[in-house]
Amino acid sequence: MAELNDFTVKEKPQWCPGCGDFAINMAIKSALQEAGVEPHNSVIVSGIGCSGKMPHFVRAYGFESLHGRVLPPASGIHLANHELTVIGVGGDGDGYGIGMGHFIHIMRRNYDLTYIVHDNQVYGLTTGQTAPTSQKGMKTKTTPYGNLEEPVHPVPLALTMGATYIARGFAGDMKHLASLILGGIRHKGFALIDVLQPCVTFNKLNTYDYWRQRVYKLEEQGHNPSDYAKALEKANEDWKTNYEKIPIGLFYKEDKPTYGSGLPQLNVPLVKHGLKPVGLEEAMDEFI
Amino acid sequence: MEFTWMIGAEAGAGTAVTGRTLTKVFTRGGFHVVGYPEYPSLIRGGHNTYQIRVSDKKIHSPVKKNDVVVALNRNGIIFNRDSVKKGGVLIYDSGVDAAGLKMPEGVDIFPVPIRQIIEENKLDQRMANTVTVGISLGLIGYPMDDFFLILEKEFSRKSREIVDLNIKAAKAGFDYAKKNFKGNFKFTLKPISREKKRMIIGGNEAFAMGAVAGGMKLFAAYPMTPASSVLHYLAEKERHFNIVVKQTEDEIAAIEYAIGASYAGVRASTSTSGGGFSLMVESLGLAALSETPIVVFLAQRTGPSTGMPTWTEQADLRFALHSSQGEFLRVILAPGTVDEEFYLGAESFNLADKYQIPVILLSDKFLSESHFSADRFEWEKVRIERGEILSSIRKKLAPMERFARYKLTKSGISPRVFPGTPEGMHVATSYEHREDSFSTEDFEMRASMVEKRERKQKLLEKEIPLPKIYGKKDAPISIICWGSQVLPAVDALPLLEKGGIHANVIHFSYLYPLPKKIRKLLKSAKHTILFENNSTGQFAGMLKEFLSFRPNVLALKYDGRQFFPEEIAEAVENAHKQKFRRKKVRVVDMGEFEYYNPAAYSEVV
Repeated sequence: MAELNDFTVKEKPQWCPGCGDFAINMAIKSALQEAGVEPHNSVIVSGIGCSGKMPHFVRAYGFESLHGRVLPPASGIHLANHELTVIGVGGDGDGYGIGMGHFIHIMRRNYDLTYIVHDNQVYGLTTGQTAPTSQKGMKTKTTPYGNLEEPVHPVPLALTMGATYIARGFAGDMKHLASLILGGIRHKGFALIDVLQPCVTFNKLNTYDYWRQRVYKLEEQGHNPSDYAKALEKANEDWKTNYEKIPIGLFYKEDKPTYGSGLPQLNVPLVKHGLKPVGLEEAMDEFI
Repeated sequence: MEFTWMIGAEAGAGTAVTGRTLTKVFTRGGFHVVGYPEYPSLIRGGHNTYQIRVSDKKIHSPVKKNDVVVALNRNGIIFNRDSVKKGGVLIYDSGVDAAGLKMPEGVDIFPVPIRQIIEENKLDQRMANTVTVGISLGLIGYPMDDFFLILEKEFSRKSREIVDLNIKAAKAGFDYAKKNFKGNFKFTLKPISREKKRMIIGGNEAFAMGAVAGGMKLFAAYPMTPASSVLHYLAEKERHFNIVVKQTEDEIAAIEYAIGASYAGVRASTSTSGGGFSLMVESLGLAALSETPIVVFLAQRTGPSTGMPTWTEQADLRFALHSSQGEFLRVILAPGTVDEEFYLGAESFNLADKYQIPVILLSDKFLSESHFSADRFEWEKVRIERGEILSSIRKKLAPMERFARYKLTKSGISPRVFPGTPEGMHVATSYEHREDSFSTEDFEMRASMVEKRERKQKLLEKEIPLPKIYGKKDAPISIICWGSQVLPAVDALPLLEKGGIHANVIHFSYLYPLPKKIRKLLKSAKHTILFENNSTGQFAGMLKEFLSFRPNVLALKYDGRQFFPEEIAEAVENAHKQKFRRKKVRVVDMGEFEYYNPAAYSEVV
């Protein structure tokens, strides 16, 4: 079994000192290690943004795609070889902004993969513009008079779109986050882990302290993650309490057939199929 | 010996079904057959046609005139009557209001009460198509046994009763024509051979099969005319071919699914038309920089923007050549026939894999959606060459190190390794990177990586064959064309021969890169005329840029249709008369095929 160090690279991560991404990085590595996945059997897929650097800082296979395009290549990798552990990593701009279309649709499919969103309510790598999850009124470079838009609420959105494992973590609690990611990896189906991740450079509103004063753990309140109605209530609690109470932990989990289970072609992973084509003779007969 | 038939009816009336059935009948009879659909971008209400050309000699293209036209509605008469040859037949459904319509002269007019035939024989209204085929075959006395076999094949899944009713419908149509046609048209047709069982297949299906023959395991696409039938066909057959086919939420996802799957180790592809390809171009660059093989099937239609969605053009060549930011190597192929759709379709995966680059196959509405008789594809002869792939790595990676996926090799090709392989961990990345795949902004490394990727072109160019020559090598006139326009071009040769003009066709199906060795061949041609289905001469520009070659005459057509053999012959004749001095010729469809301009027809209601 792989050790934590097997997932470590020699390069130092390029995030700002104190960035929440360090904790997410550590949580991913420890979750993979605890899940008993070998580095060569895991693939970290990312888009572009601060979160997009993740594949470089986990010693595994990696695919660093384009901005907003985390889930489609992750889906392609998963369909080509479903024996791999595929983890998609993106930012809130990446996944809930430019890549929102992919996010909505992947939840209809229940592929067996895990999606971690660095939700820092701001664009970091492009130096501080408003993000889809920026709170109303937040001042950024592109909303100097305060953000006029309502933020995207990813957790209730995922609930209504049929995601089968929905969690929210906090980068200020690495161990708790790692356990949520581990749960996502073990879950047979699509797992979303939205991570409250302080951007220490560009988000002066949603700081470590801001979150620490407000978050509480669902499991400590006895939340039952198979209770959909309760999950939906909890999912909306943050904005309904004007961010006074922000639940983290596992909101909802459901066992549903995966997309792949509907494809007899995937009894053997595609990548292990022989190269010799099948069925062409009969196919040609149909054109006669 | 040749026979041309066309059906015209309101969209949704089943012209394509009727047409395709007849193409199968004639192909089974040993004929060479071309089936050619035209339709506006509407589901109901527009005017659809399907033309069938049948010959005992090899033919390639639709033509402008028909021996027999079947009109199932009033507009069918109005729009298609002028395409009937003198001495031909215009059949029309006498159930439609044809009052006051001018009928063509020198043509047999044959009204047929299709509805009455259906009622008298207690058939289903849905069998009008079968009756129509029966009438057409009855007119030329063509034996019906092949048609019965096809009906059997088609409907036996439903029930014996439906098969029998359809056979009855066919016979009723056949007998009606035999008994009631009293015109001067005496042409009859009999099967010429039953030995060789040819297929009748469209360009899209041929590409789809070629992709399967080439070992494609994942296909992801978003519907767009005229590429959709690739997706339809593969979706229907995904279990049969044991592949995965996915309709994605958009074209960006489609190509990214394919790139992801390719990175994970399977051959993958997507198909689209220009609008969808516009969405894919950013990802094309991702494939290039991460050196992930990808095959994009791009069926062109009339642009820009939505343009004329169901019509044809060859105007996306420069777009394919320059798509996506930055500079990177790619291959552009343009199959000219259904055979090339199949074999180049398969080969495109080899090129993508061996050079770890994007390969774009340019088809167009004309080739993608028309049907051509073809010998069975010899899929067993398709060689699968996956290029440099490490299935295992002996050397253990040092702790905290990554595998050197992007090694600066002499050939420029760095061995690939797929996820799941121990000791091969690396990142496929859209960032510039070092040999070990870690992103970098080191200038020396950047320059070296650019050069590494460029170096691949040298090896690649060795594999690019010379353009194919149809006709005599040393003909005094050479018709140059690319992609689908070889079809009318080759059919123009016998027309030119009749007028004493000897020409050949130089056809490009490998459009980029264009290695220097091609220049010699072009320079040895005496008089040249280049035909392109666009308004700016995109390929002419490429020949000038990469091979310093200029044809004497450039003939361009950009009205939404491909060239017809008659138009090519005429343009070559004119160029010949003017001693190849005129530089540019504009070709626009006029007259007998101009039926999409209702204003020209006062009788249209």
